[in-house]
Amino acid sequence: MVGFLVGEALRDLRRAGRVAASAIVLITLSLAALGGFWLVSSNLDRAVARWRDRVRIVVYLRREPSSPDVAALVERVRTTPGVAAVTFVGKADALRGLKQVLGKDAGVVDQLPANPLPASLEVTPAAAAATPEGARELVARLAALPEADEVAGSVDWVEQLSHWQRLLTTIGLGVGAVLGLAAILTVTTATTLVLHARRHETEIMRLVGASEITIRLPLLLQGMMQGLVGAVLALGTLVLTYSLVAPRLEPLVNLTLGLSQLVFFTPVGVTALLGAGTLLGGLGGWLARAGREP
Amino acid sequence: MIEVHRVSKVYSVGPVKVPALRGVSFRIAKGEFVVLTGASGAGKTTLLRLLYRDDLPTEGDIEVLGHDLVPMRRSQVAALRRSIGVVFQDAKLLPVRTVYENVAFVLRVLGTPRREITERVFDALRVVGMSSRAQAYPAQLSQGEAQRAALARAIVRRPPLLLADEPTGNLDESMAAEIIEALKDIGSGGTTIVLATHQARLAAALKRRTMTLAAGHVVKDEG
Repeated sequence: MVGFLVGEALRDLRRAGRVAASAIVLITLSLAALGGFWLVSSNLDRAVARWRDRVRIVVYLRREPSSPDVAALVERVRTTPGVAAVTFVGKADALRGLKQVLGKDAGVVDQLPANPLPASLEVTPAAAAATPEGARELVARLAALPEADEVAGSVDWVEQLSHWQRLLTTIGLGVGAVLGLAAILTVTTATTLVLHARRHETEIMRLVGASEITIRLPLLLQGMMQGLVGAVLALGTLVLTYSLVAPRLEPLVNLTLGLSQLVFFTPVGVTALLGAGTLLGGLGGWLARAGREP
Repeated sequence: MIEVHRVSKVYSVGPVKVPALRGVSFRIAKGEFVVLTGASGAGKTTLLRLLYRDDLPTEGDIEVLGHDLVPMRRSQVAALRRSIGVVFQDAKLLPVRTVYENVAFVLRVLGTPRREITERVFDALRVVGMSSRAQAYPAQLSQGEAQRAALARAIVRRPPLLLADEPTGNLDESMAAEIIEALKDIGSGGTTIVLATHQARLAAALKRRTMTLAAGHVVKDEG
């Protein structure tokens, strides 16, 4: 029976011809768009998560405290609301850090008559303060410290990144939904043509007492086949694009977002994409209505 | 086997009501061969359609093979039809399938095991004398051969009831005779047959129970 149903579905697919091909192309486009936005969005999401973890607020101190005062100052700042951790960076540490950054030009630093860098406290905000509003409040609190000369840092740009990530997700879902709807309608049209072409078979099937599920299942299956083929093509397109674009884009992404590599879909993501295509096609196939009996 | 009680059927064509059957009642016993005759428009096709539950009567009750047809649900209709073979004036063969495939299609649709299909298809083709034309496509058949293939398709499930609606209507006399002979063979095996025909000479030549319909009434039931 399964062989018969699949055979009929393949026969129906051939009958639908160009309309079925159009439906497959539309499903490919909609899933490629959806998948493309999903990939960009998920990589941005990784960057946002990474940068949220790395957010630091730096409190530059008026003068370097003495060793016994450092512990008291660090403890006082650590207990400030919104602070997760505090690290003291002395003037000498700051200079060493600058030399490391300068690399082969580090000799320039030795020309200086004195160490111009201030001592500082590197403050890691608690999760609750890692929002633009929370960070602003924390900066104000830290700026009120009598030892503080200047306070630098905010999470505004991370939030901006997060905003772009959400916007991309929304656009992706919107474009995917519109193309997906068009794909469903095209599959429905293709299936309606199939229904017309197979009306004699359907008549015979009803006449001999075939169950409604036997009559409708090939239609559903051919819709699902269109969806699956479209999803496989979309996946192929995304794999090809990823393999071509990712190696070229990764140095730039590493420099700007701090991501060493761009990730592709996980096996779950691949399954979801294939499932979405099959579902789109199946829905189109199911929506095409056969004539009703009394 | 079949019990029709005061059945009327009225078609509505816009505001116009067209009566096709008016208070028809009769019984057909198991194994009978009944000829339903009458002029075109007398109600023969309507009556057959009611018997395989392709339509519902406006009034009255119909019982076929122990099923009360009027209150039947869709799933029960499918079950009823598995016990009824139907043949039409046009053979309704699927043009892209061979004779064998057309007959096997019915069995495949109903989920018959593959190993049984070949045997049963060739049994049915043998009964109607079409074994040698199994691989022919409908376009390669004469009208008589096409009708015999349709008959094979109707009997391949070995249904206890066979309804034939003008199966010889498009055929010349010799081809019609072949079909009638095939029907007689099938009937002799115990299958109940209801044959609708407007050809009075054919009905008379059959020498079987003949019900004559006129303007939706059974005006004669003899034999």
